[in-house]
Amino acid sequence: MKEVPISTCEREFILKAIRDRKRIDGRQTYDYRRLKVSFGMERGCCIVELGDTKVLAQVSGKIEEPKKNRPTEGSIIINLELSPMASPAFEPGRPTESGIEMNRILERNIRDSRAVDTESLCIVAGEKVWSIRADVHVLNDEGNIMDAASIAAITALAHFRRPDVTVMGEEVTIHSPEDRDPVPLSVHHMPVCVTFAFFDQGEFLLVDPNRLEERVMDGRMVVGMNMHREICTLMMSGGMLLVKEQVLRCSQIATVKVAEIIELIQKALDKDAQARQAGDKCGFAESVPANKITTNKKEPTLIDTTAAAQQASQVIQEAGPVDKPMSNMIVQAPGTVQIGEGLVNTWQVDDEDMESEEEEESRKKSVTNGREAVATSKPTERKRPVKAGEGIVSHADDSGSEEEEKVMLYQGDAEMKSTEDSTALQQPSNSDKPAKKKGKKKKAAQK
Amino acid sequence: MAVHITLPESRKKSAVPDAPKHLVTPGDVITTDTGYMRGHGTYMDDDKLKASLAGVVERVNKLICVQPLKTRYNGEIGDVVVGRVTEVGQRRWRVDVNSRLDAVLMLSAVNLPGGELRRRSAEDELMMREYLQEGDLISAEVQAIFHDGALSLHTRSLKYGKLSQGVMVQVSPSLVKRRKTHFHNLPCGASVILGNNGYVWVSPTINDEKTESSGGYEQDLEPVPSTDREVIARLRNCILALATHKLLLYDTSVLYAYEASRQHQVKDLLQPDIAEKVADDTRQRLQMESG
Repeated sequence: MKEVPISTCEREFILKAIRDRKRIDGRQTYDYRRLKVSFGMERGCCIVELGDTKVLAQVSGKIEEPKKNRPTEGSIIINLELSPMASPAFEPGRPTESGIEMNRILERNIRDSRAVDTESLCIVAGEKVWSIRADVHVLNDEGNIMDAASIAAITALAHFRRPDVTVMGEEVTIHSPEDRDPVPLSVHHMPVCVTFAFFDQGEFLLVDPNRLEERVMDGRMVVGMNMHREICTLMMSGGMLLVKEQVLRCSQIATVKVAEIIELIQKALDKDAQARQAGDKCGFAESVPANKITTNKKEPTLIDTTAAAQQASQVIQEAGPVDKPMSNMIVQAPGTVQIGEGLVNTWQVDDEDMESEEEEESRKKSVTNGREAVATSKPTERKRPVKAGEGIVSHADDSGSEEEEKVMLYQGDAEMKSTEDSTALQQPSNSDKPAKKKGKKKKAAQK
Repeated sequence: MAVHITLPESRKKSAVPDAPKHLVTPGDVITTDTGYMRGHGTYMDDDKLKASLAGVVERVNKLICVQPLKTRYNGEIGDVVVGRVTEVGQRRWRVDVNSRLDAVLMLSAVNLPGGELRRRSAEDELMMREYLQEGDLISAEVQAIFHDGALSLHTRSLKYGKLSQGVMVQVSPSLVKRRKTHFHNLPCGASVILGNNGYVWVSPTINDEKTESSGGYEQDLEPVPSTDREVIARLRNCILALATHKLLLYDTSVLYAYEASRQHQVKDLLQPDIAEKVADDTRQRLQMESG
């Protein structure tokens, strides 16, 4: 079925966003989508999810006659299936040109780079060799099948175990898995493909294009690389020309990406190996998160509060009367009184008063010795209400004495109270003890 | 940014007044009488005539066929369609009209700019891309149907041609009622083209004088004022609301839906409960008018 044509405004929107270095799904230019590798119950079965693109690879082995010109080598066959299950754009039956191209890249990547040792697949030279086949099925196409397929193929090959074979003279015994543990394939290195999409005749590039980006791209480049920074595949397609520097830049980016991907593959393989050894359940059912909406409903339970009520009344009785009245009140306007401190202003509101207040705050800090640092905005915060209600003071004049008499409950509190006293006092109370240098300095700064 | 979250609701049985009589699903037995001729959507299994589509059984004398409810657009001659150009070929354009095959717009079936009448030459062929490119939206009429079912379009009248500013809404083709005219200038301040193929085009009001001179290829790309944009957005949401609730689309129903939606904000019309309310109001009003 032919794909619904993408509308002109959608195309323009995507291109415009790319020129602004933005992607529709919010990724950065070189970001990959979420990559998840999971294994099935059988050995050699692997599902790779790259965002919404889902690819399944299954490896199987068969004993066959080798090729005439290579009697001591086994064979690796990679088959990529693009069925209508992946996308309605794929027709059943004959693979399209792009399908054949992707298949060729996969084969070149793994087979021609000798990722899997074919000599070790030989059983009897010239007669019997292992023919390992990797079938890669695309379950969902949301862009960048190439990368997902390459990861799936090589991971499945690394995960696969072939039956153990012993050759005694003329007799060839293939051991069943119960008899002898199956043997892994010898995977020398893991070549992984990284796809780059180009826009505006090669001016902008994106890593891991999703389906929409693939539809509006000018061309693509696929770099197949392994952990040792060896390029296994290099393919460019589409109607565009690339400069040499871009090709080099892409290979540099690919180095980084491939390292990350292979690390993830290794982790997944190790986790699976551990799970199998420990006898845990493994397989796709375990790796799929349960998307359930659950509710946790509890019946209201009755709590006996009689004991708490008794305790509370006891505490009230035992506690002495409050001797000191709350004297840190600021009358803002007739009918409005501010008691205590507001919290730090987190609205990031630009306040021009802040700067002058900060000056005073720093001076105040230099004076205070031995006291812990208080949140700087607290005193500055307090300045504002004072300024608003300038000239209105409701403090008792013995606030000065309060400073020294005060019991230091906690440093911050005392600071607050002391600064508040000093700020509240508009007129210098010269009768105060000269020992309170702090307070005086504050007043001086205030003027 | 405010996020709107709703819980899943069970599907309500829509109160459709006239339920069609004979609804079948694929595999249902229509009749065991062998005297009937098989039409589209049926097949013989043993001695029984079974349906191969989900739809309504229609009988014309001895011919039994099944008309599907949800289908790709099957063109008839004289239909007005809105389509998107997918390919520029030799003396023809291929247009996607939501059908099984892309429709064909021949070079000889379009008006040359300036309105000249002459034989199409080789230069015209080379200039095809100047008129219509890939991705352009056009309105056209079905002229003929090829043997394989592909449609042949023409834009011979001045009201057809390239569409410039507006919004396209895609609905099911079976929801667009066949009327005398599919071009409506709604009194609310917008024009709407209800294509038979399910593609609906909502645009600012078309002035008749403008289209005369250009021959249908000039694109007016001046910025549309925001009041017009709001009307167009509201109309688009109304059409979507009607389509989700399976109401037939024609000028009256769209207009009633617009009026019923006036009390809500434009973006609220996308919420399922408000869309349902608008659709219900429209349905009631249409019933009152007709009944």
